[in-house]
Amino acid sequence: MPPVETSAEERVFAALASPVRREVLRLLRDAGPQSVNELASHFAMARPSFSEQLRVLREAGLVSEARAGRQRLYRLEGAALYEVQEWLNPFERFWREKLTGLRDLLDSLDGDES
Amino acid sequence: MTDDDLTAVRVDQFLAHPPVKVWRALTEPELIAQWLMPGDFRLEVGHRYTMQAKAMPGTGFSGAIQAEVLAFECERMLRIGWRDADPDNPNGADWTITWTLKSEGRGTRLFLAHEGFDPDNPLQQRARTLMGGGWRSIVMHRLDEVLRDLEPR
Repeated sequence: MPPVETSAEERVFAALASPVRREVLRLLRDAGPQSVNELASHFAMARPSFSEQLRVLREAGLVSEARAGRQRLYRLEGAALYEVQEWLNPFERFWREKLTGLRDLLDSLDGDES
Repeated sequence: MTDDDLTAVRVDQFLAHPPVKVWRALTEPELIAQWLMPGDFRLEVGHRYTMQAKAMPGTGFSGAIQAEVLAFECERMLRIGWRDADPDNPNGADWTITWTLKSEGRGTRLFLAHEGFDPDNPLQQRARTLMGGGWRSIVMHRLDEVLRDLEPR
């Protein structure tokens, strides 16, 4: 049998399966882009191990890295998360969209407020 | 929404309109068609009608809905059964959709409960295996906030 390619979706879910990596995403969400040092300070973990966690997140497209002076800043990437939500619960999104449509419709109905 | 219930989706929305007006949008076919889907709805327990939504790949939902009015309380609650109407879809849905209207200030808070998801279907099983317990409640809704903030981009 040919080897199975790791799909983008599998990489995202594998990345999210780790509590450490989910916490990194939460930190980036709450405090915005941060350097590796700032992120690493939240974890009692040797630097090479922490770098490995970041690598997994990067390869999954959940975070990106950019140089800022001598630092490397990590930021959360929304698009991959969006796919996760859609995959995990397409109906939640379905209903949110429908409810937005309902709100717009009600706003457009005139006059008959009682 | 803090429960870890994999068998239901719950969403609510504040609408700046009184319950009587929201109720119209939930129960008048020409209005329903404008925000949800066209269908031969009638406010009568036991009334059956069909609707066509978009299929959702990976969820086992064909998009063909056989709906039935299960219960209602004017301007307060409307419960509708949704079954997958595609005979070629043996694992099809069997859901209840419950709308609850609550006065809030000068408007209405509309609650939706979409219940009856099979916790053993492959989608839910995969989600559980990968995420472990607590994923939905702890992370999902945080992600959801992020996503909503990101959407306008």
